[in-house]
This record gives sequence, C-alpha cells and structure tokens, in this order.
Amino acid sequence: MQDRSLSYLLLVPAFLIVLATTLYPLAYSLVTAFREWDLTKQRRPGDFVGLENFGHAFTEPGFQNSLWVTTIFVLTSVALTLVIAMSLALLLRRKGKMHTFTRVILILPFAMSPALIGVSYRFMFNPEFGVIAKGLGAVFPALDGTPWLASPDLAMAILVLTDVWHWAPYMTFMCLGGLASVPRETEEAARIDGASTLRIIFGIVLPQMRGVLLVVAVLKTIFALKMFDQVVTLTGGGPGTSTETLAFFIFNVGFKWYDMGYASALAWILTAIMMLISIWYVRMLLSERKMATA
Amino acid sequence: MSKSVFWWVERALLLLISTIVLFPIAWMFLTAFKRPRDAYSLSLDFSPTLANFATVFADPWNLGDMVLNSVIVATVTVLIAVPCASLAAYSFSRFRVKGRKFLFFLILSTQFIPAVVIVLPFFLMFRSLGLLDTRIALIIVNLAIVTPFVIWMIKGFIDAIPTDSEEAAMIDGASRLRVIRDIVLPMAAPGILTSSIFCFILTWNEFLFALILTRRDAVTLPVGLVSFRTERGDLWELMSAAGVMITVPIFIMALLIQKHFTRGMTAGAVK
Repeated sequence: MQDRSLSYLLLVPAFLIVLATTLYPLAYSLVTAFREWDLTKQRRPGDFVGLENFGHAFTEPGFQNSLWVTTIFVLTSVALTLVIAMSLALLLRRKGKMHTFTRVILILPFAMSPALIGVSYRFMFNPEFGVIAKGLGAVFPALDGTPWLASPDLAMAILVLTDVWHWAPYMTFMCLGGLASVPRETEEAARIDGASTLRIIFGIVLPQMRGVLLVVAVLKTIFALKMFDQVVTLTGGGPGTSTETLAFFIFNVGFKWYDMGYASALAWILTAIMMLISIWYVRMLLSERKMATA
Repeated sequence: MSKSVFWWVERALLLLISTIVLFPIAWMFLTAFKRPRDAYSLSLDFSPTLANFATVFADPWNLGDMVLNSVIVATVTVLIAVPCASLAAYSFSRFRVKGRKFLFFLILSTQFIPAVVIVLPFFLMFRSLGLLDTRIALIIVNLAIVTPFVIWMIKGFIDAIPTDSEEAAMIDGASRLRVIRDIVLPMAAPGILTSSIFCFILTWNEFLFALILTRRDAVTLPVGLVSFRTERGDLWELMSAAGVMITVPIFIMALLIQKHFTRGMTAGAVK
C-alpha cells in the first residue's frame, strides 16, 4: 500500500472518535446556544433567539460573579503553583536519598481524584473536629473555632490551597524536566567567580527557564479555568456564591435551572476565553523560540 | 566533620514537603479504619477496624457496584482509546503528509475545551437516546477527553524511537504495516503502557461526566463519595473508606510508571 494513503488510513479511527465525541457535540452546543431551550418546559429544542443568550450573560449578576471568582482563583492558584513548583524543582535538582524519596511522594497528589481531595480537605477544615482546623487552633489559639469554609475569603483560600496541593507537585516535574535541559557550564563558571546562589538562580537559571515556566503557567491557567470537581465536593460554590467558578456556574445553569440555551452560550464564552489564552500562549512560545535562535 | 547549616536546612525542607504532601492522604487512610466515634476525635490512639469497609460494600451504599462501574468504564475507555491513538500517533510521528499539521492541531486543540462544554450536548443527546445512567454513555464521553491526550503522549514516545531499523526492514521488503507490528509496537510498548495507565487514571478519577450523566445504575466511585453526605451529616469514616478504595489502585499504578512521569501529559509541550 502507498504510504500516503496509509498515513491517512491510520488516522481514521482516532479521528472518528474525536469527530463523534468532540466536534459533533460542539456543533450541537453552538446551535443550542442560539436557541431558547428551557428543559423544564419543553423536551425538544426551542426557537432561535439570535444572540439573546449571549446578551443575557452581560446583565446577569451570577455570571459576572463567577467571572470574578474565576479570575481570583486562576491568578492566585497559577502564581502560587508557579513559585512553589519552581522552588521545589530547584531544591530537588540535586541527587540524594531524601531527594529521591520526596520525588516519589510528589507523584501521589496528581494521581488522587480531585473530588476526593475536595472531600478530604472539607473534613480536615471542619472547625469542630477537623485535624487542620484543630491543629491550627492549638498552635494559634486565636484561630480556634474559625469557621473556615463558612467564610467567603477563607473558603476561596482553601479552594486555592487544595488546587495548589494537587497541581504544584506535577508542575514540579515539568520544571525539573526543564532544569535538566539547562546547560550547567555558565552556572559553574559563575559559582567559581564567587556569585551567590540567589544570584545564580535569578541571573542565570530562571532566564533560561522562561520557556518552560511559560508552558507551566499556561497549562495551569487552562486547568484552573476548567476546575470543577473540588468546588462541588469542597465548598459547593458557597458560602453564598463566593466560590462559584465559571465551570460550576455553567453546571448550575444547565442542571439546576435547566436553561440549556443559556448554559450552552456560557460554555462557549468559557471556551472562547480558553482559546484566546492558548493562542496568546502559542504566540509567546513562538517569539521565545525566535529569540533563542537569534 | 559536621554538616553545614545548609545541609540541615535542605533536609528539613524536604521533610516538611513530604509531610505536607503525605499528611492529608495518611489522615484519610487512618480515618477509614476508625470507628465512627473515633473519626471525630483527633486521637491516634484507637483500635483499628474493618467495619467501615463492610458497611460501604453493603446496602444501601453498595460500593461494589461503583467499583465495578469504575473498572468497566476505565478499562473499556483504555481499550478503545489506546489502539486507535497508537495508530494515529505513528502516522503523526512518521509521515509528512499535507494537512497533517492541521489535523494534529485540530485534535490537540480539543484539549483546551472545558469538559462542561462537552457534557451539555451529550446530556441532551443521551436523554433522547435513553442512554442516561449507562456505562456506555460514560465511556463515550470519556473518550472525548482521553483520546487527544493519548495521541499526544504516544507520539512523544514514538518520536523518541530511532527510525534506522524500520528503514532497514523496509529496504529488505517488509511492508509498512509489518514494520509497525513487528518493530515499532514492541519498541513503543513501554510508552504505550505508560500512556494506558495515565489514561486509566484520568478516566478513573473523572467526576463531572459521571456526576451529570449518572443517577443510580452507572455511578462511579468519585461520584459515590457525594452520597455519603446525608441528612445525618457527612459520614466521614465511610467517605474515607471509599476514598481508600479509589486511591489504592491508582497509587500503585502511578508508582509503577514513576520513571516516565515527567514525560506525562505534557510530553510535547516542553519541547
């Protein structure tokens, strides 16, 4: 058989899966986004209403709140993950028994179900019998009895904490991979010249890691924008609507209010945001490559 | 000779990190073996019991059904996604054909689509097809998330295999399909196994689809956790027992592929 036709033939099964499970539903949801479709009132798709569902988003406080909540969540969790992952990678770069042990331990949070992480942290932050809540209360008496998950700001902080706990270890591996490909000569030369460790890190290592850090930041941003599981199992969006992220809000619109048209429109807005970020990221990466080759 | 201060600081930091990572997991494991009364105390002095496991596997929780659902959904998803993705990955890795870049980009870009976008139309379609609350529905939707990711991963592994022996075999007259079967697949086997395990972990932990598309019959383990939230409050010791059931197989798998971990889901991204 000709290589040319074979090369396409090999793609067919996978492409059919992507077509049936992603592209077709996407088209379906785009059509739904322009319809009025309240599932409690009608079984079949309703009338076309043009951009009404999209327009609705701009006047609706629930959506605006979720946009704000998502922004705060994304910014804090990405920044924290980046700093922690890079620091851990620098710490774990050396060889040693404890380094190897820690590296193995770091695999566990990523393998853990995010829904279960949410449940576990909810348990540990229970003000009456949660081990973290009680432990903090024992060390800092002023914190004893703090209603951690019943206070809007603290609930958000714990949501970020669980997300960083889940992702920072994984991102550490990516940073370690990046560090491994950074040549050590300049670093050693600087060390011989008497440069301090901090100077070497900020002056030599981090600039060379820019590409990797950019990838980590964007991947984490995308994961954070999608984040859903822990909201359900940790805070349920509360207290009030203080931790209602965009993904959780769309879920509510679709499966609590059963407004399929509006939910589809919101889902497309979220997709658009993610697409914009990924295009911007590809551009940054490309210009980074140009700089590297120049 | 005494170690430097820095040596000690480094060791202390490593210990602290390991503790922060391990503590929540260890606490869940401990709670799973506590009696309800002990679960609400912070004491480490308790007599361990297997009663929670007996309870969650019995009526009304029936965790066994959920284990079965999770195993079937994850296994079938892997069995469909990995062979299809391996063929596609080989094609993307070895051929330079027109339109290839566009197709690769198209498949990869589906990774940026949030799951909640996919699940809305699937809910509507499955509802009219009568497929809600079935394992088939979950398998179909999971394929959407897993397939592009596995193509990406396996392509990374195949890219790393030198093409010399393939070319030599083809000069000797072997067909491309034979080359794939007899040379590439055996060499890529460790990579394909690693990708399969990653794929299994993703499907096993999947929560959003199962939450929306199942009610009773096809509920998977992560969604089962939510059912321990009752009118009597959260039954932590039972949740923890279920948590242990979710976690143990996945931890074993993750440790098995530990060496390939860095290449994981972002294999292509760092390059």
